[in-house]
Amino acid sequence: MKIRKTIPLLSALVLVGSLAAPAALGADLADVGYIDQAAIGALGPFQAANGQVARYKAQLDSQFARQMKGAHSDADRRRIASDFQQRFLNEQRTVLGPLFGRAQAAIAQVSSSQHLSVIVDKRIVVYGGVDITKNVVDLVNGPGAVVPPSATPPPSDVGYVDQTQIDQVPKIKQANDAFLKYAGDQRSQALAQMQSAKSNPQQQQTIFQNYQKNLSTQQDKMLKPLVDQTRSAMAKVAQQKHLILVVDRSDVIYGGTDITQDVQNALK
Amino acid sequence: MRLSRIFALVLAALATVSCAQQQRPDDPNVRGIGYVRVDEVLKKHPLYPQLSQLQDAIDAIGLKSMSPAGPPGGNISAQTRELNRELVQAQQRANAILRQKQQDYQQREQAAIRQALAAAGAGTNGTGAVTQMQNVSAGQAQAVNAQANADYQAYQRSVIAQDGAAVAQIQSQLNTQMNQAYRQRATELSEQESTLSLQLSQQDAAKRLDLRMKLNNLALSDAQRNQDRAQLADLDRQEAAVVDARRKVDQQELQKYLQQLRSQTVSRLNAEAQKIHAATRAKLAQRHNEVSQQVASQMQGLTPAAVPANLPGQTRQKLAEIDKQYKTQFQADAQKTIAEYQQTKATLDAQYASLNGADGAASGAAGAQLGTLQHQRDDLYNKMVEQIKHDAGQVAAKRGLQVVFMNVDAAGGGIDLTSDVEKDIESLHQ
Repeated sequence: MKIRKTIPLLSALVLVGSLAAPAALGADLADVGYIDQAAIGALGPFQAANGQVARYKAQLDSQFARQMKGAHSDADRRRIASDFQQRFLNEQRTVLGPLFGRAQAAIAQVSSSQHLSVIVDKRIVVYGGVDITKNVVDLVNGPGAVVPPSATPPPSDVGYVDQTQIDQVPKIKQANDAFLKYAGDQRSQALAQMQSAKSNPQQQQTIFQNYQKNLSTQQDKMLKPLVDQTRSAMAKVAQQKHLILVVDRSDVIYGGTDITQDVQNALK
Repeated sequence: MRLSRIFALVLAALATVSCAQQQRPDDPNVRGIGYVRVDEVLKKHPLYPQLSQLQDAIDAIGLKSMSPAGPPGGNISAQTRELNRELVQAQQRANAILRQKQQDYQQREQAAIRQALAAAGAGTNGTGAVTQMQNVSAGQAQAVNAQANADYQAYQRSVIAQDGAAVAQIQSQLNTQMNQAYRQRATELSEQESTLSLQLSQQDAAKRLDLRMKLNNLALSDAQRNQDRAQLADLDRQEAAVVDARRKVDQQELQKYLQQLRSQTVSRLNAEAQKIHAATRAKLAQRHNEVSQQVASQMQGLTPAAVPANLPGQTRQKLAEIDKQYKTQFQADAQKTIAEYQQTKATLDAQYASLNGADGAASGAAGAQLGTLQHQRDDLYNKMVEQIKHDAGQVAAKRGLQVVFMNVDAAGGGIDLTSDVEKDIESLHQ
């Protein structure tokens, strides 16, 4: 009797356990942090610095226009443009550089003290993770220098790729350029057709729908295979490196594992 | 006893199957991480068709706005070309008339001078000297006219450019105000529609779930099944009808509101533009009078052409009088032609101005429409994504995940919550 009673009880426990276990087992896996970058940008020193850079740019713009008026050749114009661009970048670096450095050091310090392996942008986190925004804001606003940790972040389960570099892989660049050209040609054709059908809204609607359909079909034909190939390469590299996910570089603020080069090699 | 054992075995089997089918968050290949492909879930969202429609409308306006003479700007480029052609023709006509008049007056003056010389007994020997005298006078008059004309045209260009800039600035301000007012109202209505849609689906969720569970019963009779299905379809229809009715009312209200805003904007723009144009016309008229007086005084002050010295004093005086008389007549006559040309030009300028105004208003209206649509689209998109994130959070909590990402490029592991969230989103609105 005892045994008979115990079997259903155990079975029920197994079922309950199987439903309840995940939360308990996963409790020590949270080493992913996130930050609200907009909150950092809204801090007084950042806003003041941005205002200073904007004023400097406005001042440069009028000087630039005056000098361009007096330019005698294309070479002159190029030299002036390059000179002003450099002056703007220098000012930006001078004014904003120390603030960015301080924020970066604060992020690294908080990340290290909370044993986080990667800090990502808040926008890509749907659930969970550790919000370090307030801690970073407090450090940035605090007195004295912010000392970055001496150790680098621990290995992370999250990898990232720089999509702009992936786009430079010859076959991808070629396909992107070809598609852009196709899209431009289609747009010109559609515009010409719409121009001749300007008094007929229904016909215009049809032209627009055909234009969209053509673009979509060609996109599937020219780009989708490469997108699939790239995703597959990323997943393969991720598996080889024991990474769980791969996100875009622009979404990673600190830490993470860069697999851009591996993906580029896999695509060649 | 037997039943309880069977029950126990079934439970155990279920537990095993459940464990085997679902990946566990502590799996080495998961490590508490999940992800959701939001773009895929969006396509299953009940409001996705609306989002697509908005995107299509934005794309369509974007494409149309690239059209050089497409609606709503219409034929503006062609009309501008036509005006330019008319202006050039008017200039050429005026120049031809002036040249012709100059020749006529020269010939008549020459004839009068010959007569005067003959009467004085000097024969026609002085013809060369007389022609030289006339050429000097005509050259001086032309130079004065050309300089005055160039000065006036430069001034006119600068004043018209200022006028155009001022109107464009006011137009931009008014369009921005109109845009903001419309966007605000559209957002309010759109939010109300979304809230209504969600309220209705949540209100009927229990009833719908009950009917679905009944329909899952295999032993259900056909008649009962049909009845349940009909009830389910009724629920959908009723909800859709209520939301559609609200949407239609809102669309009508928005349409009326937009018309009202446009009409107000156009009235205000016209009033402001009229003030600016009136000021411009006054400036040009004043300058025109100044230039005319200046030309007249300069013409009067022109050094009389030197009369050949070998003629008797009386004849020389007579010739000078003839020269002055014909010059005055020519000036008066030429002035008439110039006035006619100026009038034609003023009419064309006014047409240019109204055409530029129409062009600005047309592109302004398209811009306002585009802005409104983009705002609506972003608003709807953000709401849908927020709902998806909320649902994904609930699914993640149930599955015991520590962190869930969206917008991932690729996955080497983790739990893909996409299909779970899709089902959740669909069931919420079914």
